[in-house]
Amino acid sequence: MKNAAGSATKCRHLAVFAVVLGLVLLCPLRSEAYAGPGAGFAVLSSFWTLFVAFLYSAYALLTWPFRHLLRSLRRRKAYGKAQIKRAVILGFDGMDPELAARFIAEGTLPNLAKLQAQGSFRKLRTTFPAISPVAWSTFMTGVNPGKHNIYDFLARDLSSYLPFLSSAEIRAPKRSWKIGKYTIPLGKPVIKGMRRGTPFWHWLGKSGIFCSVIRVPVTFPPEKFPGVLLSGMCVPDLKGSQGTFCLCTTRHTDEKFREGGVRVPIERNGSGLRTYIPGPEDPLSSNSGSELRVHFEIRPDAGKRLALFAVDSEKFTLQVGEYSPWIPVKFQAALGFSARGICRFYLKEVSPEVEVYVTPVNIDPGRPDLPISHPVTYSIYLAKLFGPYATLGLAEDTWALNEEVLDDDAFLVQCYANHDDRERMLFDALEKTRQGLCACVFDTTDRVQHMFWRYLEDDHPAARGVPRAERPKVIEELYSRMDGLIGRVMQQIDEETLLLVVSDHGFKSFARCLNLNAWLHQNGYLALKSGKTESGDWFEDVDWSQTRAYTMGLNGLYMNLKGREREGIVPPGAEAEALKEELRTKLNGLVDPASGRIGITGVFDCDAIYAGPYVDNAPDLIVGYGEGFRASWDSVMGKVTNQIFEDNLKAWSGDHCVDPRLVPGVLFSNRKIAEEKPGIVDVAPTILKLFGLPLPAHFDGTPLTVSTEPAG
Amino acid sequence: MVSFTPVAALLTFSPSFFHLDLPALLVVLLSIVIGFLMVVVFRYTSDQKAIRIAKDQLKAHLLAVRLFQDQLPVVLSSYGRILKGTGRYLRLAFRPLLFVALPLTLLIVQLDRYLGVKPLSTGRPFLIKARAIDSEVLNTIELGLPLALQRTAPPVHIPTENEIVWRVVAREPGNYDVSIGPPDRTFSKRVSVSTELERISAIRLQGHFWERMLLSAESRLPAESPIQSIEVGYPSRSIAFVGVEWNWIWLFFVLSLVAGFLFKSILGIEI
Repeated sequence: MKNAAGSATKCRHLAVFAVVLGLVLLCPLRSEAYAGPGAGFAVLSSFWTLFVAFLYSAYALLTWPFRHLLRSLRRRKAYGKAQIKRAVILGFDGMDPELAARFIAEGTLPNLAKLQAQGSFRKLRTTFPAISPVAWSTFMTGVNPGKHNIYDFLARDLSSYLPFLSSAEIRAPKRSWKIGKYTIPLGKPVIKGMRRGTPFWHWLGKSGIFCSVIRVPVTFPPEKFPGVLLSGMCVPDLKGSQGTFCLCTTRHTDEKFREGGVRVPIERNGSGLRTYIPGPEDPLSSNSGSELRVHFEIRPDAGKRLALFAVDSEKFTLQVGEYSPWIPVKFQAALGFSARGICRFYLKEVSPEVEVYVTPVNIDPGRPDLPISHPVTYSIYLAKLFGPYATLGLAEDTWALNEEVLDDDAFLVQCYANHDDRERMLFDALEKTRQGLCACVFDTTDRVQHMFWRYLEDDHPAARGVPRAERPKVIEELYSRMDGLIGRVMQQIDEETLLLVVSDHGFKSFARCLNLNAWLHQNGYLALKSGKTESGDWFEDVDWSQTRAYTMGLNGLYMNLKGREREGIVPPGAEAEALKEELRTKLNGLVDPASGRIGITGVFDCDAIYAGPYVDNAPDLIVGYGEGFRASWDSVMGKVTNQIFEDNLKAWSGDHCVDPRLVPGVLFSNRKIAEEKPGIVDVAPTILKLFGLPLPAHFDGTPLTVSTEPAG
Repeated sequence: MVSFTPVAALLTFSPSFFHLDLPALLVVLLSIVIGFLMVVVFRYTSDQKAIRIAKDQLKAHLLAVRLFQDQLPVVLSSYGRILKGTGRYLRLAFRPLLFVALPLTLLIVQLDRYLGVKPLSTGRPFLIKARAIDSEVLNTIELGLPLALQRTAPPVHIPTENEIVWRVVAREPGNYDVSIGPPDRTFSKRVSVSTELERISAIRLQGHFWERMLLSAESRLPAESPIQSIEVGYPSRSIAFVGVEWNWIWLFFVLSLVAGFLFKSILGIEI
């Protein structure tokens, strides 16, 4: 009865509203035709939208025949010799062929099994070294690193022995204007891409074949080409770093994170708490190191295990163990200068202490301060369509898990949230690219394997305390999830579409760290300053006048060459060659005394493995670590310790920066591929050939023999 | 040599350009206040998140037309989505409209009494028009005027419209009641002669509630009255603002939109 009465009342109210509204709207009097600015805006902007859409569409429709004709004349019919209508390339960074084969055999990857049965499954030869920026650069350019200039995440400055990011350089504007305490930048930051070579989608685009390229590594800064591209790995955060998280905490400690994060104190502010997110350097300040900050307030409720956050105008509540959505933040400098970003908050704890993790501040894709897509509107388009998304190159915060700021579950939630965004982008690109190329790289496979390999092995040092029965099957679930995605993509494509599932490298355990700088020191190749037994980061205490070789980054070994390095002592020529040979002989087969296993299975002379105009920038030797080994955390950062071998106790427990022969990637295809041992360098020529384009003479890869018949 | 610049032009016309009389000032102030209030009401009566998403999606589909312009199927499907998205957006803006439409309509009706027309001027003829229930009654209807008002011509009968029209002129400012009707039963109608801002009711009606509510500010004519309406021909008012003569509602429309736009930006409200 009560319900009936209620609905009757509701109906009556609705009727009254309808009558009033009808009278108001239908009455043709000028004074009633307007119902305030809200309705005015709605009506005006709707008409404006329709008008602009009509103009755009009319322009596209009316000019299409002319543009089509022009393209045909200029490029002689884009798809004239094409064997396929569309190529879809799914890049799964780090997908391992041995694990894939194992899970296929166990029956947990039905879609990859289907691809294997109907098309092909091959191990894909990777690059030297087997590092993502190197391998994906080769994937897109079809050349060896000697021609694309990427040898590692980091390259070294010959004048200072300090590292810099190998893929892109961001510098302050060339000119500035100094007024009092302010230095006003005149112009935009200068972003210079360091990767050389031409991605194969540029050749396709020039021939009138449309390409959608999403998050392929080393595509920052985005280059112009006739298609759309969203940059991937190597896009910086708003601080200009490759990802600096922030832990806001009431715990007092002087400890600093090794890298990748900063600790910020939370201070009491009346009944609430106040803290801040560190941002980029103040562009107007003459003093380097003066950072911009966004302050925010926290009102914790220990009883309910939640906290209320106030960040700028955004207010939201989080339970302990919950992430916020992407929150826009604006770092305000003087004179109206500002930098906009987005970040997510994760409430770790409210009692007895309060701790909040904040992701690195990503460039806001809806209002990018730096270009992260081509055209610039593409990142905006995706942000408007799906909402804000992670733009940082290494968006999954592995450092936070390594430093135990995030736990396993929180890290996975973050990973899969990013992954879900990427999936949405992929399916949109598939819908928009009905002809041409659609390439999308997923990083989740790489990050999750890096961080959870420890649970896959019986005796990984980083998981010794976790009983076997309690170990989560994270990697199994990861592969299964990717398989599901592949299945959904397979449903979206037709017989004229080539589907390639590609990974840049595989994966192996990282149980033991090898500090090559320590080995070089102990074997007389690297000298420390008098009285020092160890060196700080970046060769702080190294005596260069007596050092013949050093290592930094993941696999590169460098000679301190006279005339090349600032304080080089090894004369180029025969002596340098002899030193290289000596190092190769001594390091190859280096045994870990604790386990008796071989720590280095190959040392490769770069003069032999690379060819091209940028070989001079390459390391002198590439060190191929044995299975279970990798360059130690200290060695990567140019630190010299006493210990050559040690256990890896970090969550980062799997790796691929080993002997490249041990970690090939995968190549699945929905068509038969004749070659038994394809390489990642062959992908670019294969795609060009399938679209009927001539191959550039400088390519190092050769086109694979792909069946012209669709998979049966 | 003196060159003609926009600034010089502005300075030349500045007295009239920037002068605001009382009605103009009233419209400006009301536009600001109502612009603010309506935006706030919109904020609390609308689904802000849904509106933001709807607007973002519209923008995305617009960008898609531009980004994928060489792919006709994409352009066409995006255009379809724009149409659909516009419908969705209007639907979301409809709910706040329900809340503001009635009060704002009533407010605008009241404002229209002051700002829609000007009071009559002395010495300038105006028309008084009565509409009867049928043409036969017309011959019996007479107009009774106070001393300050004077008929300047015989009444004109329009039988096809059941109307009778008098041409009248006012000698002195003031508010007067004229009487109209058959000799045995007359009905009054207020006539305003002034140079000030006055509340004016141009018509007295026998009609229905909403019709009277929207058009008249006087009591209804009795249902059994032979006269259906009495109307005074007030001159419409135009308001000078930034060198342009405006109808007040258009000026209100433009200014309240501008005010709303500013306040929505300041207050971070999605419209």
